Amino acid sequence: MRNKLPALLTVLTCLATAGCANLGVKPWERDVLARDDMQPDANRLDTSLDDHIYFSKEGTSGGRGFGGGGCGCN
Amino acid sequence: MAEKDKLIGSALAAAACGLLGATAPRTSIAAEPESKWDIDTALLYYGESDDRVQDASLSGLAIRDFGEDRKLSLGLTVDSLTGASPSGAIAGDQPQTFTTPSGRETYTTPAGEIPLDDSFLDTRVAIDAGWSQPFARLYTFNAGVGISSEYDYQHLGLNAGVTRDFNQRNTTLSFAVAVGKDKVKPVGNVPIPFAAMSDAVDDEDGSPANRAADSEDKDVVDVLLGVTQVLGRHTLLRLNYSYSDSSGYLTDPYKILTVVDPLTGDPVVRTPPPGASGPGGIYLFEHRLDSRTRQGLYAELRQDFSGKVLQVGYRYSTDDWEVDSHTLEGRFRFPLGESSYLEPHARYYSQSAASFYRYSLADGAPLPEFASADARLADLDAFTVGLKYGHTTSGGNEWSTRLEFYRQESKAPAEQLIGNQIGNAQMPDFDAIILQFSYHFKL
Repeated sequence: MRNKLPALLTVLTCLATAGCANLGVKPWERDVLARDDMQPDANRLDTSLDDHIYFSKEGTSGGRGFGGGGCGCN
Repeated sequence: MAEKDKLIGSALAAAACGLLGATAPRTSIAAEPESKWDIDTALLYYGESDDRVQDASLSGLAIRDFGEDRKLSLGLTVDSLTGASPSGAIAGDQPQTFTTPSGRETYTTPAGEIPLDDSFLDTRVAIDAGWSQPFARLYTFNAGVGISSEYDYQHLGLNAGVTRDFNQRNTTLSFAVAVGKDKVKPVGNVPIPFAAMSDAVDDEDGSPANRAADSEDKDVVDVLLGVTQVLGRHTLLRLNYSYSDSSGYLTDPYKILTVVDPLTGDPVVRTPPPGASGPGGIYLFEHRLDSRTRQGLYAELRQDFSGKVLQVGYRYSTDDWEVDSHTLEGRFRFPLGESSYLEPHARYYSQSAASFYRYSLADGAPLPEFASADARLADLDAFTVGLKYGHTTSGGNEWSTRLEFYRQESKAPAEQLIGNQIGNAQMPDFDAIILQFSYHFKL
């Protein structure tokens, strides 16, 4: 799986930049997407607190963004 | 005050642009936002079953909009931790005595129970600051700094990133890098890898003989590549690829392994010398590799159903310690009347064991190159279910509360079990609750 990641990434990037050119909405159709609960960082404080808990208790972490740092020794 | 704020904004913008070699956009009064500070505060309680780790945490995140998408963010978290943490030692058929991490005292775990070290008490303070702003048409730049401090651990982190919009801003590509410099300063100094736990020494100044340096360093480099794509008027997709490289001291200085009889699998019994108090068995400090490279893919879909919002996320992570994990998470937010909402949440996490995870070490057998009995590196599954309730006040502020249950179950690797361990191996599984009160307001 590890060797497949770069390939998968390339495919995703191409999809995003080329294939997705046909996706999306016009500027006047952004009413729903502009709502607070549709923002990628909605619940940002909950998310960062959860990420820190799981970082301290599980063997892998991250992926969504950058963590706040700390030992997580306990 | 507004003038002063504008000056601060311009100064920060100039500093950020200086880093980029770009020209700072001019400040325009027309773009001045209505409210300037957007503030999230939270009080969180995290409590594990059986008097294990308890954490009371206070957090604040303030975002100041200087207009024209130039934003300053300031965050603060204070954690107060108490309780007991599994040491890595296995349960025994006899009571087991251990020396505390400081090397000065001992504690005893009853027969049949998983040894927990209750000698820690910690306060963690973390602060961070970030700045983001557009620096050319369709481009945004962001940078941040964060520090966190505990009595035995210091972290300094820097991050910077760029985003670029495409397709009438329906596609956003982002690239970000973060570096972290950490210092581990364990109680009683850094143990020598695989050194045996020693008898308690009542010496205020000295450290036990099984310790090396008083501190060690750890460096982390993270790279994140992301795509955010508007799929339709009601649908947003986010994909991230992350790469993380850690090097330096990645061992947990407080975790130990139990040396067991190679036939019975029971902990080897040791008698401390006359007059001394010390471990009643042979326990060795763990030793992990000094580098770790992790890669991850994260996908998140946000879908609106006429005011109800479904958020589904999946993360795959793989690393050269052979810890591979899958995380599936979902939230569904639906309105209750005009001003409230309910949001159920569920999460499932599953990971494979690190290549050097060892349940115990057989007496007389050659030591492996690396070994850890930390259950967080074992084969484990975890489940979270929770519910959040939020209410928007007439003034436009929001308070919310959430309650979550977390359960973690790990598995002892069957092929490693010896003698009496077979069918009796215990792992330090636990339940925890997360209770949080939050208040969001604007100034």
